[in-house]
Order: sequence, then structure tokens, then C-alpha cells
Amino acid sequence: MVEVLQQIINGIAIGGVYVLIALGLTTVFGILGIAHFAHGSVSMFGGYLTFFFVTSWGIPLLLAILIALLVGLVLGVLIELLAYRPVRDANHINAFIVALGLTMMVEGINLELFGHEQVVIPTDFSRVFNIGGVTIPELRLYVILAAALLIAAMTVFVERTKTGQAIRAVAENRDAAILMGVNVKTIPLVVFAISTALGVCAGVMVGSLFAIAPGIGEGLVVKGFAVLILGGLGSIPGAVVGGLVLGITEALAAGFISSAYKDVIAFVVMISVLLFRPQGLMGKA
Amino acid sequence: MRLTALTAAMAMTAGAAWAEEKTLDIGVSDALTGGGAVYGLPQTNAVKLAAKEINASGGIKVGEDNYMLNVIAYDDKANPTEASNAVRKLIDRDGVKYILGFCCSGATGAVASFIEYEDAVMLVGNAAERSITTREIPNLTRTRPPADYTGAAAGTFVAEKGHKRVAVLGALDVGFYASYVDAFEKELEKAGGEIVSREAFGLKDRDMSPQLTKIRGQEPDAILVVGYVEPAAFIYRQAVELGIDVPRYGFTSGSEDQFTRVATSEQMEGVWDLRPTELTLLSASENGKAYHANYTEEFGIAPSPSSPYSYDQTYALKDAIEAAGTVEDTEAVAEALREIAVPDEVVMQYLPVDDKMFDENGQAYTSNGAFQWQGGNWVFVQDLPSDAVAYSAFLSTLDD
Repeated sequence: MVEVLQQIINGIAIGGVYVLIALGLTTVFGILGIAHFAHGSVSMFGGYLTFFFVTSWGIPLLLAILIALLVGLVLGVLIELLAYRPVRDANHINAFIVALGLTMMVEGINLELFGHEQVVIPTDFSRVFNIGGVTIPELRLYVILAAALLIAAMTVFVERTKTGQAIRAVAENRDAAILMGVNVKTIPLVVFAISTALGVCAGVMVGSLFAIAPGIGEGLVVKGFAVLILGGLGSIPGAVVGGLVLGITEALAAGFISSAYKDVIAFVVMISVLLFRPQGLMGKA
Repeated sequence: MRLTALTAAMAMTAGAAWAEEKTLDIGVSDALTGGGAVYGLPQTNAVKLAAKEINASGGIKVGEDNYMLNVIAYDDKANPTEASNAVRKLIDRDGVKYILGFCCSGATGAVASFIEYEDAVMLVGNAAERSITTREIPNLTRTRPPADYTGAAAGTFVAEKGHKRVAVLGALDVGFYASYVDAFEKELEKAGGEIVSREAFGLKDRDMSPQLTKIRGQEPDAILVVGYVEPAAFIYRQAVELGIDVPRYGFTSGSEDQFTRVATSEQMEGVWDLRPTELTLLSASENGKAYHANYTEEFGIAPSPSSPYSYDQTYALKDAIEAAGTVEDTEAVAEALREIAVPDEVVMQYLPVDDKMFDENGQAYTSNGAFQWQGGNWVFVQDLPSDAVAYSAFLSTLDD
């Protein structure tokens, strides 16, 4: 029983990262219909930036994260304005190509600015809590709490604020939203800013829990899209449920079936779910 | 008397004028980016350092000519396709005949599969897959001993420590790591021990807590970690975080810097690395200390323990070219490589077979050693069983 609980805790920590990646992807996809492949690389950029602020400039970790978040917000706006807006009214394949090109570009920028070496964001959180035989490293606990906080903040923003309502309106029916007076030119900017900031948070979590290195972002975005499909395209609750299901499934598969095939098993579970619910766990039929 | 001296001086001056300075391009194919770069980049630097030293001391002397080395390095990303392309580019476009580096087995194996048909000599460094030197490729030599040569020694050592139940966590889909574990298991079983669990991870994985949780539940006497430095460092850190307090053994060849980027020195304390007796400053020979100092000064970072494999290759190549008396005839140089003694300048502690650096398979052997992390450093604790002659004879019986 202890082992099962331990594996669930292990899975929740990595699942939290998946959720944040998927939240960024799902808001962009749900509202703008863009498969933003560069999201993983942008997340890594945020992680690298935080690492750079902490190690090169000696900025305290929390302040470094805050600055990286602000940079993320601006970067999101720039991505929308410069990369996606020019192809908004064009064929979908154009946005698809832009997304692929952007991924390569951001990967290249990361490599040029931060080098090829793996980096780990240094933290002072080295304590380990032991509750009835289940151990929780302090850093993982904070990652889980931070992910929960961000999910709650995102939910409140989308559900309770005027901008959030406008975002949902555009997602539901763009033409109706225009008739209702929603400024549909601003909404994509807000969506990309929020999405990128969430990605930066995920990058910081990956960088402190594990490591940031070239190629890690690509793996993350694949998992993010898997979560999206599992939870339901464009669904925020779906991203949360899907991320946690994927993280916990991976941990349980590695612990109780085979560590060599943990990714395979996680994707088999995903495919099985889709056989019964093609719209995803929380998607609308 | 004065006339004799003057005549001699004139003759020397004339001799010096006849000696022509030429350039010899040597190629490096190694992982400069990606997961294998922790081994490939230091190896490439080591070749550059050796070339610089050789050039400073007058180059490679072939008859009347002195050849200055020029290093052309390409990134093979430890990828078989990239490595094949890099070597083709070196041979076909750059006209290179001597190719060094090769940190990683997959990429090396791909190049080894066609190098026999090329007018070139391939000198393999850190890549430890056994089959690289069982194919009887006449123009290929390797400075690092195969993984199972070290795995068997490690198994004996761990069994002697009294451990009966060992859990393995490794990059087991990589051939040479699997062969290390197989040889380890064989020796452990001879002493009545067993491997209770074989858990795997991918080279890009950084979260091994699910596998470690499973291992914790099996209550082993010790764990054995085989894999690249970066995932291995995470395993050591996560094992401590999960409260696993059994002895941790490994086969990683990482430097102190590489480990402390991920885990604290406290989390690393007591970890063993059972590997060939590679560079560790605290146990280094005079050559090793000089190499460490020169490398650090040249590149601004300490060398990784396995980097001298390629430094030593470069000196072996120098001696072989000088012995063969040609840079053009690669067949003669390849033959000379198998005949040379261990060069004076090498850093690793080689065990010659029949007084030669490389055996008939083109394989060199170092001693194996047990290193332990103590107070922030890898400390050489003891030699491990290293019968190069017996292993060389065994290697000659294989044909795969």
C-alpha cells in the first residue's frame, strides 16, 4: 500500500508539470485552433532564463521566476503578433508550418544563448518529509502546490473575470463574440501571454526538479498534446485530469509493470480511453 | 676544434632547412551536443590538447618532414546516422585519413561497420561496446576496454563486500551497459548472490523515482546504477530523497563537476564508481596531473575522467605514424598501431599485452578500479581484478 501511495505521489509531481504544459496548449488550441508545437521549447526558454538569472546574476529564485514570467508574458504577445497573426485568416496548414518553424527557431535560440549542456536550476529545498513511509521531497511538494495554485488561478481567471468570459465567448463562437462587442484582436494576445507564462512555470519546475537541456522541450510538448487528447481538446478541466492521469499511469506502469515500457503503457491507456470516449475524458461529444 | 663545431652547426642548419613542415589533418567524430556530449566534448578537447602539445614539440616526424596536426571535428550527436555522415564528410570532402574520438557505442558501431573498406584508420575512445573490437577490423583500434571486462571485476568486488541481493537500475537498452550487467551478474552469482531486479531508464529520462520506489520495496542489499552521468546523478539524488540507504554502486565515469550539477556532495557521499582506472586527480600519475592542469588551463573546465582515452589515441597515432614512416599508407600505420608499445605521454594506466599497447584485436586495456565519493571527490580506493592477457585471449575467440 505504501508503495502504491508513493508511486501516486511520484506521478502527481510529474503530472503537475504535464498539466501546466497542457493548460498552455489547450487554451491556445481551444480558442485559436493552433497546434502550438513551440510551446515546449518556449517553456525551456523560461527555465533557462530563470537558471541564468539565479546563477549568473545572483537573483533570488522567486524574483528570478517572477522576471521570467514577465518575460514569458511579453514573449507570448510577440509570438502571437509576429508569428501567428499574419496567418490567422490563411489556410490551417500555414499556422501548422509556422508552429514547426517556430519550434526550430526557439530551440536554436536556446542552444545559441544557453549552450548544449544540461542545466539544473539550483534551489535550497533539500528536505525530505516522511509520512507513514511515504517520502515527499520538499521540492516536489512545492511543485505540486505551485501547480495546484496555478490551476486554481487559471480556473478563476477563465470563469470569473470579464477577460476570461471573453476568452470563453471567442472559443464558443467567434462571430457571436464579435457581435457581443468582444475585441477579438486582443483576445489572442491575452491567450498567448497566459499560455507562455504557464509554459515558463512548467519550464522552471522541470528545470528545478529534473533538468533543462536541448530536446527536453520536444518531449514535453508531445506529452502535452497527449494530455490534451486524453482530457479533451480545448478543455481546461480535461487538461488537469488528463495530466494527472498520464503522470500517475506512467509512475504506476514503471513501478508495477515495466520501467522499460512505461511510456508505451501510458499511451496504451490513453488509446484505450479514447476507444470508449473519443472526445476525451472531459471533452464534449 | 672551432672549425669542426662550425661545420657541425652548418650541417644542422642545412638539415633543418631540408626538413619540410607540413600539415596533417586528423578528424574527430564525437558527440559535441546532446546526451553524449558529456563524454564527446571532453574527448574532442583532449585530441585538440594533444595535437597542440605535439605541434609545440615539433610535430610528427616522418623521414625529413615534420607534420603539424590540424584537428577537424564534427558533431555526431552520438547518433549512428550522424556519425556515418560525419566520417564520410571527413574522408570524402576533407581528405582525412585518421579519425579519432568516438565516445558512444551506437555511433561508433555504425562507423566500424564500413571503416574496413576505407583508406583510413579509426581510433576509438570511450565507446565500450565489446563487439567493436571482435570484428577483426584491421584499421581500427580502441583505447577503452570493453564494458564486460570491467563488469566482471565490479561483480567480484560487490560480492566481496558481502552483498547478496543487488538491484540494478540502468540504461539497459544500450548494449554495452547490458553487457556490463551480464558480466557483473555472472561473478555475483558465482559468490552466491543474485540480481533481484533489473529496472531500466532511457538516456533522456530524469525522473527515476518510480523505478527507485519499486527497488525500495524489494529491500536489496545494494543498488547498481549503469548509465550516462546525467541520469545517474539524478538516480543517486532521488535514491536519497526516497530514503534508500543501501550502498550505491555505479558505472558512469562522470567527473565531480558533472555530478554536483545535479546532486549535492552530501547526496553523493559514499557512492562507488566501478570502472576502468580513468583519470581521477587524487590518484593520477605525473602525466595525469599535467594533463589535468593543461586541460583546465586550455578549456577553463576540469577534464572528465574518460577524456584521456582520446588524448592517448593521439599519442598512439603519433608513435604509429613515426614507426611506419608514412602518413599516406594507412595500412602501414594501422599495422604499426598494433605493434607499438604504450607511449610515454599517455595518461591512462594501460596493461600491455605482449608488451604492446593494443592486442591483436586492436584493443587496449587499462586496469579497473573502485572509486568512492568522499567529501566532494572521487577517491581511488583499490584496484579491481584486471587480467588483460586472459581477457584478450577470450576476446580473440569471439566473432560477432
